[in-house]
Amino acid sequence: MADLTLDNVRKVFDDGGDDIVAVDDVSLDIEDGEFLVLVGPSGCGKSTTLRMIAGLESITAGEIRLGDRVINDVKSQHRDIAMVFQSYALYPHMTVRENMSFGLEESTDMPDSDIHSRVEDAGADLDIDELLDRKPGELSGGQQQRVALGRAIVRDPEVFLMDEPLSNLDAKLRAQMRTELQHLQEDLGVTTVYVTHDQTEAMTMGDRIAILDAGELQQVGTPLECYHQPANQFVAGFIGEPSMNFFDVERQGTRLIADGWESNTSFSYPLSEGTLDELGDTTDLTLGVRPEDIELRTEVEGDHAFETVVDVVEPMGNENAVHLQFDLEETHPDTFTATVGGMTSIDAGQPVVARFPEETVHIFDRHTGEALRNRELDSVETLETTI
Amino acid sequence: MSTKTNKSTADRLFEVDYYRVALYGTLVVMLAFFLAPIETGIVTSFKTQTAVAETLPFLPAGGEGFTLSKWNTAIDVLSRGLLNSLAFAVPATLLSGLLGSITAYGLTLVNWRGQVAVLTLFVAGIFIPYQAVLVPLSKFWGVYVQLGKSLGFFWATTGISKDYAALIELTVTHVAYGLPMCTILFRSYYKSMSTEMMEAARLDGATLRKIYQRIVFPLSKPMFAVVFIYQFTQIWNDLLFALILVSSSSSPAAPIVLILSGLGSSMEGTDFALRMAGAFTAAIPTLIVYILFGDKFAKGVAS
Repeated sequence: MADLTLDNVRKVFDDGGDDIVAVDDVSLDIEDGEFLVLVGPSGCGKSTTLRMIAGLESITAGEIRLGDRVINDVKSQHRDIAMVFQSYALYPHMTVRENMSFGLEESTDMPDSDIHSRVEDAGADLDIDELLDRKPGELSGGQQQRVALGRAIVRDPEVFLMDEPLSNLDAKLRAQMRTELQHLQEDLGVTTVYVTHDQTEAMTMGDRIAILDAGELQQVGTPLECYHQPANQFVAGFIGEPSMNFFDVERQGTRLIADGWESNTSFSYPLSEGTLDELGDTTDLTLGVRPEDIELRTEVEGDHAFETVVDVVEPMGNENAVHLQFDLEETHPDTFTATVGGMTSIDAGQPVVARFPEETVHIFDRHTGEALRNRELDSVETLETTI
Repeated sequence: MSTKTNKSTADRLFEVDYYRVALYGTLVVMLAFFLAPIETGIVTSFKTQTAVAETLPFLPAGGEGFTLSKWNTAIDVLSRGLLNSLAFAVPATLLSGLLGSITAYGLTLVNWRGQVAVLTLFVAGIFIPYQAVLVPLSKFWGVYVQLGKSLGFFWATTGISKDYAALIELTVTHVAYGLPMCTILFRSYYKSMSTEMMEAARLDGATLRKIYQRIVFPLSKPMFAVVFIYQFTQIWNDLLFALILVSSSSSPAAPIVLILSGLGSSMEGTDFALRMAGAFTAAIPTLIVYILFGDKFAKGVAS
């Protein structure tokens, strides 16, 4: 076991004379036994980063270290890293047992009897001991997934790499495997880097998550840090489902005024002293508020409430996602989303008042995307204790 | 709708589908067209000289006209050639298949600089006509590499005739000229193989050689069937290289095709029955190869 360090790692692909930067100076410290999730939209460089750690892709610049050992020029074969692929990549002509033994046979001098018992143990752990003599073609997707996992586990490597291992499973199985994988990783205590584009997986599984966009690292932190204290607008919008609502606003004095809106519902949001201090002298801003933080009322009360009309309601059982519009006229057809309890009856066309409590809003610099003000975390804690 | 589908079976039996009738009619004609020469050949091979002259070619001859002697003669004369041909066709087929597979692996699933240039050479190799290399080929084996001389100790110690050096020459020549085709066939097959699987094997600690041995090779079986059938038929039936390298059907190392070409023709005229029996004897090994690898062949072609 060892910790894994990425030091200004860069990957440039040469595409017929054009240099394409896939990974742009990414630095990460992954502690021994930690479960780190690399998350980002497709094409953000997360898989390339993983493949560089695995040695399947060369490193253009920077350094990757495993413990004290620089592994930039170490071949994949000698890195002592196991990887689980999205397509599982099982060897179709071998039985499950042979698939799982392969790595031990090739990378160690372990006697056959030891390999046999290790495979049996891993098979029992993963509940696939019944399947050991079958071939991958005779297994269901979920079972193949377990075999792929088993193949990585028996090797007892320094690092596990997982490249969207759950994305070929159906929703139910995926949720089940998510928790199972977490337990497994905790039991084994092996440093794990997990790549996904699914923010739910990132939130639920990782000790820490690293968010990548366009090859650049946006933020590294615990799931709740990234959720409540996003470093920038990209992270705020990427983490969370339904995603955060953004409004382009301009600061005029102590208020935020919606950009270019001059209708009867003109949006004016007063700010407190503390918030104003955080903003400095930036005037072009983006106001962000999470759907669950929007309070729906029947009457306008206080400064942070606005009259809106319900556009669409998406009932999910446990909650309703309510799409709201400030302005019914065509000038601003954009909607924003609020979530309310599943037992709340609400209909399309109904006028409601939406309140954005000031302690829950995020404010970003509209040009750099940087977060100038994030919600206060102490309010989260008090809320939790009252439940 | 319902009345239509509820027609009784009796009604359907008498319905005539003209399309089907025409289809089956055509198929029967085609079958006859393709089988007639083979049938005629088999029937003729069992006829005496007089029966060949006096009966219709495709009708079997009964009684006096029936004989097994032509087959006996054909097998007697050809058995030497049959063994010679097997002696170079089998190793040449296996070698060209194996080397083709390894070459394709190196050119497809392994990354290195200059791959494209080497591949281009292989593709070009397919288009070189055999006729264009006949002179250099005979010069190569006749002047530069004289196996009869250089392996002198071997012929001396084993007591095998020097003439058999031609079989080694044929093996090497056929491997060399079959390699480009085999490589391209395997390459197209390997390109469809999952790269993630190769990467998984690399991460599992397998070396290039081990990945070939334990993963690529076992997964290539259907393609080996295709290549073996193709190469064996090609090499077995090749007359050109045999003529250049062995030249005389009287040589102890003469391949079957060389002996077959002179079989049944003499000053008195052509012995058709003997020629037919000889042709079938020479064709049997290729038939056996088709039967052995047939099911795998279908799989390989389908992929």
